Amino acid sequence: MLCLATGKAASKELERIDQLFFSYANNSSGLIDPEGIESFCSDLEVDHTDVRILMLAWKMQAEKQGYFTLDEWRRGLRALRADTIVKLKKALPDLEKEVRRPSTFEDFYTYAFRYCLTEEKQKSIDIESICVLLDLVLGSRFGPQVDYLVQYLKTQTDYMVINMDQWKGFYRFCTEISFPDLSNYDPDSAWPWILDNFVDWMRAKQG
Amino acid sequence: MNSSNQKKRNFQIEAFKHKVVVDPKYADKTWKILEHAITEIYNHNASGLSFEELYRNAYNMVLHKFGEKLYSGLVGTMTLHLQEMAKTIEAAQGNLFLEELNRKWNDHNKALQMIRDILMYMDRTFIPSNRKTPVHELGLNLWRDNVIHSSKIQTRLLDTLLELIQKERTGEIINRGLMRNIIKMLMDLGSSVYQEDFEKHFLEVSADFYRAESQDFIECCDCGDYLKKAERRLNEEIERVSLYLDSKSETKITNVVEKEMIASHMLRLVHMDNSGLVNMLIDDKYEDLGRMYNLFRRVPNGLPTIRDVMTSHLRETGKQLVTDAEKLKDPVEFVQCLLNEKDKYDKIINLAFSNDKTFQNALNSSFEYFINLNPRSPEFISLFVDEKLRKGLKGVSEEDVETILDKVMMLFRYLQEKDVFEKYYKQHLAKRLLSGKTVSDDAERSLIVKLKTECGYQFTSKLEGMFTDMKTSQDTMQGFYAAYAAELGDSPTLVVQVLTTGSWPTQPSITCNLPAEMSALCEKFRSYYLGTHTGRRLSWQTNMGTADLKAIFGKGQKHELNVSTYQMCVLMLFNSADRLSYKEIEQATEIPSSDLRRCLQSLACVKGKNVLRKEPMSKDIGEEDAFFVNDKFASKFYKVKIGTVVAQKESEPEKQETRQRVEEDRKPQIEAAIVRIMKSRRVLDHNNIIAEVTKQLQSRFLANPGEIKKRIESLIERDFLERDSSDRRLYRYLA
Repeated sequence: MLCLATGKAASKELERIDQLFFSYANNSSGLIDPEGIESFCSDLEVDHTDVRILMLAWKMQAEKQGYFTLDEWRRGLRALRADTIVKLKKALPDLEKEVRRPSTFEDFYTYAFRYCLTEEKQKSIDIESICVLLDLVLGSRFGPQVDYLVQYLKTQTDYMVINMDQWKGFYRFCTEISFPDLSNYDPDSAWPWILDNFVDWMRAKQG
Repeated sequence: MNSSNQKKRNFQIEAFKHKVVVDPKYADKTWKILEHAITEIYNHNASGLSFEELYRNAYNMVLHKFGEKLYSGLVGTMTLHLQEMAKTIEAAQGNLFLEELNRKWNDHNKALQMIRDILMYMDRTFIPSNRKTPVHELGLNLWRDNVIHSSKIQTRLLDTLLELIQKERTGEIINRGLMRNIIKMLMDLGSSVYQEDFEKHFLEVSADFYRAESQDFIECCDCGDYLKKAERRLNEEIERVSLYLDSKSETKITNVVEKEMIASHMLRLVHMDNSGLVNMLIDDKYEDLGRMYNLFRRVPNGLPTIRDVMTSHLRETGKQLVTDAEKLKDPVEFVQCLLNEKDKYDKIINLAFSNDKTFQNALNSSFEYFINLNPRSPEFISLFVDEKLRKGLKGVSEEDVETILDKVMMLFRYLQEKDVFEKYYKQHLAKRLLSGKTVSDDAERSLIVKLKTECGYQFTSKLEGMFTDMKTSQDTMQGFYAAYAAELGDSPTLVVQVLTTGSWPTQPSITCNLPAEMSALCEKFRSYYLGTHTGRRLSWQTNMGTADLKAIFGKGQKHELNVSTYQMCVLMLFNSADRLSYKEIEQATEIPSSDLRRCLQSLACVKGKNVLRKEPMSKDIGEEDAFFVNDKFASKFYKVKIGTVVAQKESEPEKQETRQRVEEDRKPQIEAAIVRIMKSRRVLDHNNIIAEVTKQLQSRFLANPGEIKKRIESLIERDFLERDSSDRRLYRYLA
């Protein structure tokens, strides 16, 4: 959307953003592909598995994991007012702050799940990937919960995949439930069944 | 008299027109006359008095405005006489005290009556207008104040009365008539006199008495005896009241007895070792139980106490019954024990607890509790029914059949997992139908009707389908034999039951190699059937059939053997071979190995049915074993039954499998219920959904909240429902 700024400065900015895009894009597909992203990340001096890349993708509202379209690129960089790698690097801390604000975080959190759905009709993500994703997005803020949850997910046998509803449940669990005592967890409430079992498992562990 | 001037004042009679001379001494003189009369009356000398004269005297006094003098004179005179009477009464010794009191009371009453008659005019005119106490009441008050409340009489009277009652309570005979009169006297003097001077103390003393007595009894009596004694005392008190106390005292004194003898010792009685409620229940002591019920219903919390003890005892024995390993070995015995227990308590509630509905409910809830403690109860009840319908009901009258089926239905109602029962019932019914082993078609159908009434059409529609298949198959067989009559002259007789998949319990479809004679015949049937029913597929269920074989053994013994299809396949092989190894049999018949082992065991290892001989003679079937016809086979019966297609208690793995299938079947039912509810409610919170779903499925099984939750989540994933964005506990239906 190019309606935000008018005038020469704005169009110059847009030009530079596009240029930056094409410096990483694959010529035949017209998209930035995983290879392009790798070099982009190394220029940015941020590992491609870093959560900030995911945040960037969110800012771009990128649809497909591992790829950026021109529209998405423009969207993200315009919003960050960054048209060079340097400016982008500088914008990252603010981006992180923005994402971690409670009002935005939930949106980012659900985006992260959707971003990992690779197939057309896919609705769930395998346990391994979920564990990685949980650590990535919630690990810094809810370390203990994520550690135990990941441990549980890996040992339980009820589910081989996690769906969006359960994913959302994990976040709400971290923000609402007192940990590790779990004293305010109400099993008669509408928590996903997998979390009921997680709580039972925790309590059994605590003896 | 000038009527127009007549003012409206009661009993106001106009003065005479001429002045009547009133002699000041007139009043004194008149009073003296009356005073004398009163004395005479008290001295039993009334016969010499003239009523009219005395009446007129009294009348005149009032008329001439000497009412006050008359009244106070009455009070004074009567008081004096009463004081004299009191002295006489006080002087009476021992037993004569009451008699004297009674006599004097009678005298006073008679006197009072006469005095009142004489002073009637004053009673009607002077007294009301001067707000004085009427003569009769005055007489009673004076009696009360001067006699009853005299210091020498008051206490003595009370003590005497209480002493007599005490004597009576300890078995002595007392003069009840006298008691009645005295008590009536107190009642006549006013309810406050009766209560203050007698009843209050009577109740206190009685309380002490019964408190002490109950304490003694409870130490030395067993529960039944104690209750008898309590009942006796209660009846005594009721009788006492009816004979010589105020009827209003009945509730009060019975409350005292109830409190001291029953309420205070309720728990101790109920829990008494060797004789308490539990022992009474165990020993069917109807009379004692009835007595306990009748006594305890009089005290607060009495019946709940009995009910609670009965309930916990029932639950405990029930629990033991359903977890008793010995009983669990025989399902029919198990169910019979349950029925016996129910009969026992029905009888107790009927005979001893006057069919009290709350007890009936307690019985029902207890049964529901412990029957469901054993997850095999549904299976066992079905096995019980199976035994009855296969042979147990043979020769039983139609009425009795109905009674037994009704009792089974009653147990069925207690089951929480009715769908599990349905599964087993279907399996067992299938076996009964296919083996032709049902005692009475009517009984079978009667039970289906009862199940339909209880659970609705869906429960029984498949079962009815099974009966239909049996009938249809009969018709098909007739058609088959009519069509092929000529060709089939020499062939074995074939009876086919065509079962519609879906109505019958699912079976794995495994075929085996049939003997040549049979397979040819079966093929003929197949083409006949498919000729008349295009578009269908038939598969032979060789694991469910039976066969009758005519056999001639080595020594010429002739027998008819009733065997399963598998057994037939094995035996027919021996028409062309004397010795066969396990491997050879397996190859020739292609019967699955576990079934084959069971089959060979039943033919070679069971005493009395060993038509085959095995080497080695061990019980187990080994791969290397060899089989021969048992030429020495002997049975006193011509017809020998070796087939095993009878319903039995499931083995552990079979049980697990059935349980798994039941759980799988429940999932779509839960989902259907959730969708139904959400479709009509549109938005509903979590707890309410759980409650509604549970309620809807209650008649089939007890839905697990965890399972319901899982189904909801599955429906969310498939976009049938969604969670509300702001309130996570709310679900919304997505059209």
